[in-house]
Amino acid sequence: MTLSTALKTGDLTALPSRRDEDWRWTDLRGLLRVLPPAAPAHDGEIPAGPFADLASIETVFVNGRRMAGAETASGVVALRFVALAEKASQAANHALVVKPGETLVLLESHEGRAAGYVSDVTLDIAVGEGASVERIILVEDDAEAINVVTAEVDLAPGATYAQTVLTSGARRQRIETRINHPGAHAQVRLDGVYLLDGQRHADQTTVVTHAGVDGITSQLTKGMVADQARGVFQGRIVVSPGADQTDARMGHHALILSDRAEIDAKPELLIFADDVSCAHGNTIGALDDEAIFYARQRGIPETEAKAMLTVAFVGEVVERIEHEGARAIAAAWVARKLGSPT
Amino acid sequence: MAAVKETVETVAALEKYEHGFTTDIAQEFAPKGLSEDIVRFISAKKDEPQWMLDWRLEAYRRWLELEEPTWAKVNFPKIDYQDSYYYAAPSTKEGPKSLDEVDPEILAVYAKLGIPLKEQEVLAGVEGAPRYAVDAVFDSVSVVTTFKKELAAVGVIFCSMSEAIREHPELVRQYLGSVVPTSDNYFACLNSAVFSDGSFVYIPPGVRCPMELSTYFRINAKDSGQFERTLIIADKGAYCSYLEGCTAPMRDENQLHAAVVELVLLDDAEIKYSTVQNWYPGDPETGKGGIYNFVTKRADCRGDRSKVSWTQVETGSAITWKYPSCVLRGEGSSGEFYSIAVTNGHQQADTGTKMIHLGANTKSRIVAKGISAGKSTSTYRGLVSAHPKAKGARNFTQCDSLLIGKTCAAHTVPYIEARNGQSVFEHEATTTRLSDDQLFYCQQRGLSQEEAVALLVNGFVKDVLQQLPMEFAVEAQKLVAISLEGSVG
Repeated sequence: MTLSTALKTGDLTALPSRRDEDWRWTDLRGLLRVLPPAAPAHDGEIPAGPFADLASIETVFVNGRRMAGAETASGVVALRFVALAEKASQAANHALVVKPGETLVLLESHEGRAAGYVSDVTLDIAVGEGASVERIILVEDDAEAINVVTAEVDLAPGATYAQTVLTSGARRQRIETRINHPGAHAQVRLDGVYLLDGQRHADQTTVVTHAGVDGITSQLTKGMVADQARGVFQGRIVVSPGADQTDARMGHHALILSDRAEIDAKPELLIFADDVSCAHGNTIGALDDEAIFYARQRGIPETEAKAMLTVAFVGEVVERIEHEGARAIAAAWVARKLGSPT
Repeated sequence: MAAVKETVETVAALEKYEHGFTTDIAQEFAPKGLSEDIVRFISAKKDEPQWMLDWRLEAYRRWLELEEPTWAKVNFPKIDYQDSYYYAAPSTKEGPKSLDEVDPEILAVYAKLGIPLKEQEVLAGVEGAPRYAVDAVFDSVSVVTTFKKELAAVGVIFCSMSEAIREHPELVRQYLGSVVPTSDNYFACLNSAVFSDGSFVYIPPGVRCPMELSTYFRINAKDSGQFERTLIIADKGAYCSYLEGCTAPMRDENQLHAAVVELVLLDDAEIKYSTVQNWYPGDPETGKGGIYNFVTKRADCRGDRSKVSWTQVETGSAITWKYPSCVLRGEGSSGEFYSIAVTNGHQQADTGTKMIHLGANTKSRIVAKGISAGKSTSTYRGLVSAHPKAKGARNFTQCDSLLIGKTCAAHTVPYIEARNGQSVFEHEATTTRLSDDQLFYCQQRGLSQEEAVALLVNGFVKDVLQQLPMEFAVEAQKLVAISLEGSVG
């Protein structure tokens, strides 16, 4: 039941629908009545990506085809998925192996530079013993696009994996991350920001499976929806039998700025071991009227005050990004999306 | 330390499941299995009017088309619906007119369970002791309802469902199935087809029910299922507090209990519904036997400013599948859900609530405490949703799970769906084990390990116990301690 199977086989019934528990808020079968044709190869110029100034190495996929890039998985690497063909479908697979002890900053961008495409990206990331990965995912899709990004991450003992998703949504969009956490002093940080307007939809789904003792997971997702947008957060932390001393925290906090917008959340904890400390928090609400009133009293127009407050709200997630350059780009992206001066 | 002492004494004094006895009484059964004829048989047995039979048959036909749900985190072998009795009743010539005509064996059962059925006994008790009216349901039929006269004096109707269908058809027809429609879900649909009895309550406008109402469910017959249906209607400005208790004998076979409870609240009405569920949980060592408790409970807050409060203590059943819900339709209506779910041995519980905010300024509060021990699994599953019209909706949810032992599991699966910009939802959940430090502290001060666990668990569930009516709270506290007996070490 995946988009990639449907794209491969042309079988629409392989698309996940509302009847699939894990896709209840991200219905693809109801939306996608006809599969668009496969995107053609692109032979022209490729515009520069958002992380061009930071990365020394670039791996680029255009219309689902790999264009350039070395097999390097250390240092600062840009990974770009560019859609340049209108109303076409594209699928890409990519695997990264980070060797023990190496450090990788993966600056991933999904650049929708055409209208109404259907895109599927599957990533496999293996992080070796004691290695460290920070993955920043900037997703800027077209308003009519459908995009599913699925990453399967395998961690070795002592590995560190940190991830921050920044997305403005699409017609239907799902960023799914599945992490196999061995415990064994491996650490995971899984963050996300979604800022949605119009009729955009964004689904952030995460599954972290703790298989061994002494694992840490910290998750924080914040979002804002306006107009008729819909934000979805599904977080699942599984602590397998024997995975004692697991410390897992999950937080999802969201703002609804319109009466026609929607947020659906399902923060799950599935615990099969007893010596654990697991918690999740979920809050959904509007901006604080008193804070807006305070700002207006001091001469700040209402729209600006709302933008300021929203920037501050999601700022907590942006600040957790460790790579300085990426953090600055993320902060600028948030400010631009919310129309707030930086 | 009085509470500790009491808990310790009860743990020492009682067997693991004290209600596991069976009673041999002459009983009538419908033939085994389920078919349209059985539905007709039950309806005929109860002397029901044609409209009721039609209603049942429609439900039965719909049930045949439905599939048994599998989404709950519980595992059990497929139920053979043809291998059970759908109607079992103590044989009597006519329905007993008064308590004197009830089979003394049955009265002895209730005496053994500590349920007061004789009004004079209740009245003769300690002065000022709380009085409550009881509807006693034995297998498929209601054997007696107490204090009916006194309640009728203030206009409260409290009787068995069969009696209500005969005596108050207009109320039953108006409200039955209006909160939980026949085809709502697989088990509710089955219940609609074969329900045999249950309680019916109507509180007229402006009346505050003068005493606690209660139902006591007892499964006695072998290989039988219990399908009761409860309907409570609180008219404008009415109030009632309703208690529900249940027990069953210890048997190696699983027995099905699929009940439906419907609450209707009009303007300014309030219902407080408390349950202490102590069905036989199955053998703690092998997991054999026990009740499958698949229950649909829902309150419809139709009126403005109406208020409903569900409190449940779930200690029994091999499998629990139960989500007491509130449909908050009226403006300013509010719903509360307080729950303690204790699982031990091989028990599995998938329980929680639904708070559906449809009206403006509706409020809801959920406090769920789950305790798992032994090889058991406990899942909190809940839905909080706000419709675009539910401006100013407010929800607070707190779910805490406590794990005792290496082989148990605790899950939290909340669903939150917010569809307007003027509502606030807060949800927090934690999962931890009993703190070693706290256990050590208690043991240092001379408490045994078992006493220390009981004390800490009582502290953990205190928020919910406080919501129970007095007599129930004491009972529930003991139950929680007994259910966890032998879980540490």
